[in-house]
Amino acid sequence: MIVRLAFSAIAVGLFLLAPHALRDYQLFQLCLIAATAVIVLGLVVVTGMAGQISLAQSAFVALGSYSSAILADKCHIPLWAGIPVSAVVAAFVGFALGQATLRVAGHYLALATLAFTAIVQLILIHADHLTGGAAGMPVPGFAIGSLVLSKAGQLYYVVVPAVAAVFVMVANLLRSRFGRMLAAIRQSETAAASVGIDVLRCKAMAFAASAFLGALGGGLLAPLTSYLDPAQFGIIQAISLLAMAVIGGLRSPVGAVLGSAIFILLPDVLQHFQTYLGLVFALLLCVSIIVRPDGLASLRVNPGRSR
Amino acid sequence: MLLVQIIMSALTNGAIYGLIALGFVLIYKGTGVVNFGYGDQVTAGAYFALITMTFFGMQYWPAVIAAVLISVLLGMLIYGLFMWPLRNQSLLARIIATLAYGTALRELLRAYMGPNAWPFPFLLSPGAVSVGGILVVPANLAIVAAALLVLSLLYLFMERTFMGKAILATCDNRLGASLIGVRVSNVFLSIWILASVLATIAGILVAPLLTLSPDMGLIGIKGFTAAVLGGFTSLPGAVVGGLVLGLLEALAGTYVSSAFKDVFSYGILFAIILVRPQGLLGPLLVKKV
Repeated sequence: MIVRLAFSAIAVGLFLLAPHALRDYQLFQLCLIAATAVIVLGLVVVTGMAGQISLAQSAFVALGSYSSAILADKCHIPLWAGIPVSAVVAAFVGFALGQATLRVAGHYLALATLAFTAIVQLILIHADHLTGGAAGMPVPGFAIGSLVLSKAGQLYYVVVPAVAAVFVMVANLLRSRFGRMLAAIRQSETAAASVGIDVLRCKAMAFAASAFLGALGGGLLAPLTSYLDPAQFGIIQAISLLAMAVIGGLRSPVGAVLGSAIFILLPDVLQHFQTYLGLVFALLLCVSIIVRPDGLASLRVNPGRSR
Repeated sequence: MLLVQIIMSALTNGAIYGLIALGFVLIYKGTGVVNFGYGDQVTAGAYFALITMTFFGMQYWPAVIAAVLISVLLGMLIYGLFMWPLRNQSLLARIIATLAYGTALRELLRAYMGPNAWPFPFLLSPGAVSVGGILVVPANLAIVAAALLVLSLLYLFMERTFMGKAILATCDNRLGASLIGVRVSNVFLSIWILASVLATIAGILVAPLLTLSPDMGLIGIKGFTAAVLGGFTSLPGAVVGGLVLGLLEALAGTYVSSAFKDVFSYGILFAIILVRPQGLLGPLLVKKV
């Protein structure tokens, strides 16, 4: 208990210290990492814990960022309300998609989610009057009352605490009865069903959770990037998100943060080798799937607990 | 007349889809993995031919042969680096591995050949010839002919050669095949090599019709759809699935809306997986515990 309290105190201290110690651009990156980590966390739940591959995550990200931006633009619902609403809607969509597709396992699931992402992206491109079509749309500012948060230094105080809260909740959820049910399903669906777990419902719930997290992360990313381009929500991005989860560690919430941090910070590290950026990330993915299918987070001293 | 013209163009697209679907089916049937890197292998195959032509000054046919040889190496590399080490890992890990090497291939091409499109020579003239009032494009007919040729060669290989029979036996029953002296690891290696060669042939044929850029591999989704239509386990089914998809797409594009042509074909993929995962032609799947 004392350790945990001390840990929280250090975290809060670092959180308050960061804006004074870091430059605005670094805070911006911190926000990007936080928002991306939420999206990847969704994959940790559905792919890592429940063992169901999903290539639909970038579709849910698109759902979250586009619908919160459209709600703000057309209906004047501020982003702080629009983002959670969009995430809840996405969760229902995810649940429905899960119920429909999770009867088929493995490959067919990957294919169905792939098709879903492709369809969502094409709809974004063709629904010009709502989404601005292939040219994309600007994101309205993040307004709280009359105060508009435009700089990264201001958004930091919204994005990072929100993400931290979500992480604590999901980490607890994964240690709960629900998390253990997912782990049981991952190891053997037949065995899980035989002890009375409603496998289909559980998997659909996991899918709903991943959709919620994806849309939430997407909604938080939107005001940071301030512009939505449908080309950013395709199959290639879905694979990148999965890659972040794999590199960080598919079965650990910490891995989601690690994977996103690597993805966001890599361009800075490889400043003079921009052409090889994609290649380096792809090779990282290759190496980690061959050498350590459990990912970076499994390098911890006590890896047994995350299983 | 319009309908005949539509069918002609549908035939070309359908043959492309079928050709790509053949590779998916071959690997899935043989090794139980749906290969998500296959579309990128198709792109890489076309690039192999392009590189030997542009940078080594080869003619068309020598370049094709060189590309096929390189793709044999690629197939070995994929098996040796990814599929062999991961043979005892979960299906999830293997699916991710195919995504991983596909991404690596795509990014390799993007890094060294640039993100922009390259021109690629046609096998036959791309100019349209009027035959009895119908416009026929020799280059497109060549694709249809090549797809049928590849299918029949593959069929002969499977049915008439020892290696082919070993592959079929392994697909049927891995343990049984190994008991009668088939080396399963060799069979898997040859499947990956064969599929890699198929990908290169498909790539060389389709590159002039599509734009040859690192992202051409996204055509793979159409190949998936064709394979799913055909049941995912039958080689002739893959080609039939490709042709059916080409036809449906062309009809939807003409009579409904050309903008939603792609939505329509992804919708088919989605719907078939939900309603009839065994495909239009496939046998009923029974999952054994």
